[in-house]
Amino acid sequence: MKRKLSALVLSAVISFPAYAVTDPLESPLWDYLREKFIGNDKYVFDDRIKVELPSFAEDPTQVPMTIDASALSGDIERIVSWADLNPIQHILTYYPHPEIVPRVSLRIKVQQSTAVRAAVLTKDGVWHVGGSYLEAAGGGCSTPSMANADPYWESHLGEMKSRLFPREEGGRYKFKVIHPMDTGLVDAIPEFYIEKIAVRDAEGEQLAHMELSPPVSENPVISFDVRDATKKHSVWLRDNGGNEFEQEL
Amino acid sequence: MKKFTLSALVAAMAIAGTAQAGVTDKDILNDQMTTGDVLTYGMGLRGQRYSPMDKINTETVKDMRPVWAFSFGGEKQRGQESQPMVKDGVMYVTASYSRVFAVDTKTGEELWEYNARLPDGIMPCCDVINRGVALYDDLVIFGTLDAKLVALNNKTGKVVWKKTVEDYKAGYSITAAPMIVKGKVITGVSGGEFGIVGKVEAYDAKTGKIAWTRPTVEGHMGYIWKNGKKMENGISGGEAGKTWPGDLWKSGGAATWLGGTYDADVDLLFFGTGNPAPWNSHLRPGDNLFSSSRLAIDPDTGKISWHFQTTPHDGWDYDGVNELVSFDYKEGGKTVKAAATADRNGFMYVLNRENGDFIRGFPFVDEITWAKGLDPKTGRPIYDEAFRPGNPADSKDGKKGSSVHAVPGFLGGKNWMPISYSQDTGLFYVPSNEWAMDIWNEPTAYKKGAAYLGAGFTIKPMNDDYIGVMRAMDPKTGKEVWRYKNYSPLWGGVLSTKGNLVFFGTPEGYLLGLDAKNGEVKYKFNTGSGIVGSPITWEQDGSQYLSVVSGWGGAVPLWGGEVAKRVKHLNQGGTVWTFKLP
Repeated sequence: MKRKLSALVLSAVISFPAYAVTDPLESPLWDYLREKFIGNDKYVFDDRIKVELPSFAEDPTQVPMTIDASALSGDIERIVSWADLNPIQHILTYYPHPEIVPRVSLRIKVQQSTAVRAAVLTKDGVWHVGGSYLEAAGGGCSTPSMANADPYWESHLGEMKSRLFPREEGGRYKFKVIHPMDTGLVDAIPEFYIEKIAVRDAEGEQLAHMELSPPVSENPVISFDVRDATKKHSVWLRDNGGNEFEQEL
Repeated sequence: MKKFTLSALVAAMAIAGTAQAGVTDKDILNDQMTTGDVLTYGMGLRGQRYSPMDKINTETVKDMRPVWAFSFGGEKQRGQESQPMVKDGVMYVTASYSRVFAVDTKTGEELWEYNARLPDGIMPCCDVINRGVALYDDLVIFGTLDAKLVALNNKTGKVVWKKTVEDYKAGYSITAAPMIVKGKVITGVSGGEFGIVGKVEAYDAKTGKIAWTRPTVEGHMGYIWKNGKKMENGISGGEAGKTWPGDLWKSGGAATWLGGTYDADVDLLFFGTGNPAPWNSHLRPGDNLFSSSRLAIDPDTGKISWHFQTTPHDGWDYDGVNELVSFDYKEGGKTVKAAATADRNGFMYVLNRENGDFIRGFPFVDEITWAKGLDPKTGRPIYDEAFRPGNPADSKDGKKGSSVHAVPGFLGGKNWMPISYSQDTGLFYVPSNEWAMDIWNEPTAYKKGAAYLGAGFTIKPMNDDYIGVMRAMDPKTGKEVWRYKNYSPLWGGVLSTKGNLVFFGTPEGYLLGLDAKNGEVKYKFNTGSGIVGSPITWEQDGSQYLSVVSGWGGAVPLWGGEVAKRVKHLNQGGTVWTFKLP
């Protein structure tokens, strides 16, 4: 019954032109960024897409965020996430896999208070857009990374630490990787960030993967859930400098 | 109007069409004679830096005008020693701090840029410079200050592959332009001041997989990779200890920091090698092979075919890394397959490039004190031991040997700046400097990543009114045909053309065009900062273009001694200037 209802709501929305829908977060850049990230595709604001954020960003360089699209699990083509008022808006693009729950946690940088979005493209070609508003003091994207003051990263670049937490069903991996994630917005420090991350199975086959942008925080901490925690998994990543790293989780 | 639109469209399609064509080995081999592009560092693999174009010539050059200037921007204005490349309407040019820019050759607009994120611990001895890229297929390949080779996609500037050539923490870096020979990208390494071991390496240009490595210090094993398997490929020089005492060969220097040249006639790579480490020669009696030498290397196997050592047992930092430029000349009705090089030590050498035999050698600077001359048969220097810095062990406290006044100074009769050979005049154009030094030796020991010199030194001008001298040298007679004097030291490369012109820049900022036959100044334009790069020329839409990078820096301001005051007022920059006739 519930499923039927939402399908009905959906079809009702689609029959109206897109401009008739107002942004629940009332962001001045909604239309501009919608066009940039999802073009003129059909879309709907959908509460089932959760973007979980703290009410205030204590540290604008490390804001914890969870994108949860598990309500649409199995029906997802990809997920695009962005922060409206960041100088670099794109945060990540996520490509799901049946063995991985479409739910990811990580930390981001924000330049000022902003709407943060996750747009989920389902197989019928419709974008389901969720989002939250984040209050922040700002400056997170134009602050030099800590790596800039400490050469630690130079000899530890790409080193990963990970842990598996058991869940009722499957398990949750949490891993941290040493990387400055420089935005290129600080004088004399070129942009330098991880642009691809993939979860691989024991045979090296790619499962879920993501494209990241510099607003992902320095030394990224990323969590995701696997449906079968008895299987072996590894994480592979590549930065824009061409460095590649892989580690078993 | 319609017609115009259509032809513009066709033209745009034609450009798009040619833009699809990747650079091939054949394109690279023919580069010197194909005027529509510049695909090699040296304007041809032989490094002659000669162009067969003559639209800009001694008559027309007075009308040459800048058409655009492109700034590297940022706060990173340091020495710009780059030579740009041109392919399908795009210029690929490197800048200080391991940056690469792709620029539209018609408009000067940036298409993309790549900034290597360098660790703070890089150890370049002589400024954070880079000399240029190599082009192959759809790749733009260059070496970084943290000793990596990076291949970028020529359309996007994104990294396609990246390989660590050596450990920057041990003092290695790369500043030279790599070269492409037979599908392989060939590179050397910098770091001779840190007791590194020089080497030449070949990688598959498309994938970055290593093909072979050849150490340039006697005693070190070379390797070759066959079907992914690493195999021993012979110890350089046969065995350790023949020309080095004890285990000093293990940190022997001989850096291949200037890259190399290649001649297809004899199918050999030519690499110069730097000074032996440490500078204090009393610690390492012997010839110290293969330091301060020219090595001929088989591009397929990485084996040394022949070597010619210009300064055996060097004690003055006569870092013989200078480029060996292949050329042919007629003598007694026969063609001589020769190659010439102007050494840091003040002598110019003409060698048989097939076997490395010495043909002749002669000074190209006004004074040389460290040697009385060259052995006419072998080319080996006849030392004047009064001008070798004294052994610190002979001093009272053992801490400092006697100081000597040696000529040329350690920055050399010629340093890195490449010479040019004109096929029309048969002359070499040698950017040289007249300076001396006081040098003394001190005890030292090798420590990873630390300067390994065992010497103190200071450089001094020889004349009040000039240091730099552009010389036209006749390789058949050893005679200087003409000279052009410059107040500050010359530190940029040379280009000669069929238009009877010789182009080069000065630290004062001038791009100069001289008559190739007599040295008369035909063109002069100030680029706003010192020129320490190498000019290029190419053809586009029927016009001859000329480009040069401007941006003062390099080793002189860092090691300048008494010379420093002559260059102290020169301002930094970072701009590509492009010129054509109106």
